[in-house]
Amino acid sequence: MPITGLGPHGERAAPPSRLTLTPDDVAAAEGRHFKVAIVLHTGESDWSRQQLAGIVGTLGDCTAIVTEVVDCGFRADAQIAALERLSREPLDAIISIPVGNAAVADAHRKVSRAGIRLILHDNVPTGMLPGMDYTSLISADNFGLGLIGAELLAPHVPKGGEIGLMTYGVDFYATNEREIAFGRWMVAQRPDLTVRTIRFPSLEAVRETTLSMIEANPGLAGLFVVWDTPAMEAIAALEGAEHNLPVTTVDLGREAAICLAQERLVVGIAAQQPFQQGVAVAEAAILSLLGRTVPGWIALPGLAVTKDNVAESYQTVWRSHAPQEILAAL
Amino acid sequence: MADSGMTERHAQKRGKGRPRNSDAAAQSLAAILNLVRTGAANTRQELERESELGRAIVADRLATLSELELVDESALAEATGGRAPRLTQFNAARARILVATLDQTALGVGLADLSGKLITEHHEALDLNAPAETTAERLSALFEWLFDKDERKAPLWGLGISAPGPVQFSRGDNFLSATPTFLPAWDGFPFIERLTQRFGVPVWMRSSVETMTVGELHAGAGAGVDDMLFVKVGKRIGAGFVFEGRLYRGAQGAAGLIGQLPTVVGDRTAPLDMLAGSDMIAREGLAAAREGTSPALADILKRGGDITAIDVGQAAQIGDPVSMEILSRSGRLIGHLVATLANMLNPSLIVLSGSIAQTNDILLAAVREAVYGESHPLVTRDLRISASRMGSSAGLVGAAKVVSEALFEPGFLREWIIHGAPSAMPRFKQMLDAASAEVAHPLAAETPAPPPAAPPKPN
Repeated sequence: MPITGLGPHGERAAPPSRLTLTPDDVAAAEGRHFKVAIVLHTGESDWSRQQLAGIVGTLGDCTAIVTEVVDCGFRADAQIAALERLSREPLDAIISIPVGNAAVADAHRKVSRAGIRLILHDNVPTGMLPGMDYTSLISADNFGLGLIGAELLAPHVPKGGEIGLMTYGVDFYATNEREIAFGRWMVAQRPDLTVRTIRFPSLEAVRETTLSMIEANPGLAGLFVVWDTPAMEAIAALEGAEHNLPVTTVDLGREAAICLAQERLVVGIAAQQPFQQGVAVAEAAILSLLGRTVPGWIALPGLAVTKDNVAESYQTVWRSHAPQEILAAL
Repeated sequence: MADSGMTERHAQKRGKGRPRNSDAAAQSLAAILNLVRTGAANTRQELERESELGRAIVADRLATLSELELVDESALAEATGGRAPRLTQFNAARARILVATLDQTALGVGLADLSGKLITEHHEALDLNAPAETTAERLSALFEWLFDKDERKAPLWGLGISAPGPVQFSRGDNFLSATPTFLPAWDGFPFIERLTQRFGVPVWMRSSVETMTVGELHAGAGAGVDDMLFVKVGKRIGAGFVFEGRLYRGAQGAAGLIGQLPTVVGDRTAPLDMLAGSDMIAREGLAAAREGTSPALADILKRGGDITAIDVGQAAQIGDPVSMEILSRSGRLIGHLVATLANMLNPSLIVLSGSIAQTNDILLAAVREAVYGESHPLVTRDLRISASRMGSSAGLVGAAKVVSEALFEPGFLREWIIHGAPSAMPRFKQMLDAASAEVAHPLAAETPAPPPAAPPKPN
């Protein structure tokens, strides 16, 4: 699947094959015993666990040590404190998912200024430049994920209907791209539909936001939520209110995949490949530490998942067999 | 005019005794604001010294600027003996600027504060050969999205557009009142009029080479550099010149069209654009893929059905010899010309930009080789030649800087400051009415034949 989006600075995506480690690279890294810290926006999602497995495993193959994994819990102050502390430690690289935009930009710049390689995953604060403030960004084709989310939802919505776009209130590159792409696809392909944008400020607020949304827009005929964790919260609220609505989202988390298989509101998922993204992140870190040039933006395509292909997609994304709840529902 | 809800509905009220609509008051307000904005003065004492105005006038003007929320005096400066003085700081978050870059294959949009600093940006693929109406509507939709997403909900004060071709210099006019010629396919489309009418704020437009040069100067490799040569390599090849920290635009705003220069290759003479631009790179790459001389490009052609200049750049980066040779050839031709410019202008920094220059290092290496080999030793002694790290962000930052500088240009600032916001000044309101009429009746505005006698005046 081609990459449809552009990078944070308008870059064209480089494929992850550009990061493939040769046996010589691995051998060169083995003698160096690089030290790497990982700073996550959250550790509390299937996506996070999968990408962490990809990072840690690949670094392990190159005898690079992961000294610490920080879970910032979506809090900018926690991330700033962690980066400032880690910038003073004898690390070779830090892999980070910035939790926001301007608020965490300077803390990330400090990492590079301290002589530590900074590899970003999924998000770049505005104003930070590749090759100057960070080495490389690895992400999914988030614009493409938004397009998939729209394309999977559209057939379930009758002509002239209203649909909800439930998005993150925080300025975050990845979710911005999904939101913009979803709207663009609808304008181009389903101009008959009216899109109502609803923003949630935090995960804790999703249920309340969902209830307000259906109260204000009782005629909603579909919903796209920009990633699976809030989507599950929204579905819990919708089911609690006995409000039936087709939903699409991004990320093939376990619970979302089960809902899709069991036809519990979820009708389609635009899946990232977090494990493969984690592998690419680790490869970028190793290559840059070996002095090789790495592209400013590497993107992996998304997968369109419906009930028809949920089992095999689960295997692709999770690198393990689908759980019994999914297989039993097919 | 449609109420976009983005601009301020009323001019700020001034307190009793504050300066009325007088030139002197506007002049001192503008002078003090610019001293604060540029950091030339950070306390009342410094303002009195730098502005040569009395304490009472400075205090009065600061009170007005505080009411307008353009200056903030809530923080304390460091004490140097007695009581710590209050810091006078420019409130860049007072209002927002929306900016866009229109490129042959992409559209970029951004939201900036009044200092020109980007807050959010977004880029997406877009074919500029699409109807102007479609592209303009997409751009406006993205502007509205950016504005709506902004948590601060500050009003909008200006728009900046980075255009894919030269934009005629309009001396003496601080914002555009009509769409200039910038792209033949858009001739006759009231682009600026529609933006002005939809968003209710002044619009500025510059060529992408100009905005990218300004962006690179302020937020990229050019930070702190006084003399810079910026070269953008794309379908067209253009140059931006910075002398003593300022962009040189030329008499008509067309400085730097180096892609027009005749270039000789063997027995063939053609413009540099044709012989070294991205169309040539894509064309040569496609030929190599079809002839099978480049297995890497043949594979891309088989999978994607087309070869772009970026494909050739990426193939070169992974060591495809044919792609490397195509880029080297382009780089040598550009390098010869850049060496000529370097010998003429003696810059301290040359920045190569455009997607090809960012995709791989071969173009950069070829340009370096030509410049270092063909320049006077004094020219190259401390010369740095680098590839831009900013990509299309440079155009957005530059467009935001253009608007920021224009909003606070002393003459323009004096005109609007007593009204509280640029959109509230009478000259803009008149223009807005005219733009509304043009958008409502575009053909009617074209009907009268232009007077034949007098030559056109710069407006």
